Amino acid sequence: MKTDAELMALYQRGSRDAFEELFARHHRRVIHFCYRMTGDQARAEEAAQEVFLRIARAASTYQPTARFTTWVYTIARRTTLNFLRDEKEDGEKVPIDPTGEGRDAGNGIALPDSREWGPEQAAWGMQLQERFLEALQKLPEVNRAAFVLNRGEGLSYEEVATVLGVTVQAVKSRIFRAREALLAEISGLLE
Amino acid sequence: MGCREIREVISAYVDGEARPEEARLVEEHLGACPQCRQAEKRMRDLGMAVARTEGAVPPDFRENLFARMEKEDLLPKRRSIFAYSVRWTVVPLAAAAAIALFVLSSREVPRDHPSTAMRPPTATLVGGDLSPEDREIVASLEILEDPDLFDETEIEEWEFFTPPPRQRG
Repeated sequence: MKTDAELMALYQRGSRDAFEELFARHHRRVIHFCYRMTGDQARAEEAAQEVFLRIARAASTYQPTARFTTWVYTIARRTTLNFLRDEKEDGEKVPIDPTGEGRDAGNGIALPDSREWGPEQAAWGMQLQERFLEALQKLPEVNRAAFVLNRGEGLSYEEVATVLGVTVQAVKSRIFRAREALLAEISGLLE
Repeated sequence: MGCREIREVISAYVDGEARPEEARLVEEHLGACPQCRQAEKRMRDLGMAVARTEGAVPPDFRENLFARMEKEDLLPKRRSIFAYSVRWTVVPLAAAAAIALFVLSSREVPRDHPSTAMRPPTATLVGGDLSPEDREIVASLEILEDPDLFDETEIEEWEFFTPPPRQRG
């Protein structure tokens, strides 16, 4: 099986199949990342399309020395950041339920296995996910990106640092702050 | 290190990013601190929550993207099966036709053909200053030009048709 870097080299030489393979490998994670960063399915789709267009436009600048996934997330993060800035300028905001504010983060959270959930628990799980997504949107973008890239996308602290252009120590702090803020937001829902 | 200070290290520990000496410190602390053990569990649960938060992939996502890419000339167009079939049938056929044309054109025009282009220039030679030997050779030229009339196995017969050296004077 060809590596991502090899496929990129083939795409640079005009191979459609190479790009299709790269798309097949990465489109899900790009959509998930955009969804976690924007908090909205329609915006996530739009952003993800833009991410792949940017990848194609910038293909000639890709250097095989950089891990392809890191390069993709760097583009994806910049793209979602632009989307969020545009929304801010347009006065649109991600809806946040104010009832989640000021809850006590000290209470424990228990997330049972969703495969064993009944209808009531499934509905509660949906509500929890919605609230979690909203809580994510409340975080400062840099903290959200650090947390999502590490916990959602599986990047190491070092890779997250590369994507965000910060030090590993900064990543460590941002992820910790994101955790504290998220726990403060959603732990009350689980009382 | 107190609970407040070690929480950030616990966060890195949960992510598998604590250095070995930090990990030892965290494990010692967790063994003695129920509050931090609870905090560690909450941190792990939070990681599960984000992993479950996924966007959906719409069925037309790929199609829409590729259409946009083709518009911007970012995606090489795929050749259709028809294009391939044309490529792999027309090219050999054209080659075969060219070979056939070459073979046919290189053969002697039949004697009863109205064209005289391939015939020996008998009109100019008859009554000319050819010697009897030359005349005999010219009369045999048709045989030379037509490979079908010539038995290739008896190659020594070429000598028979070779004109003798001219004697001047």
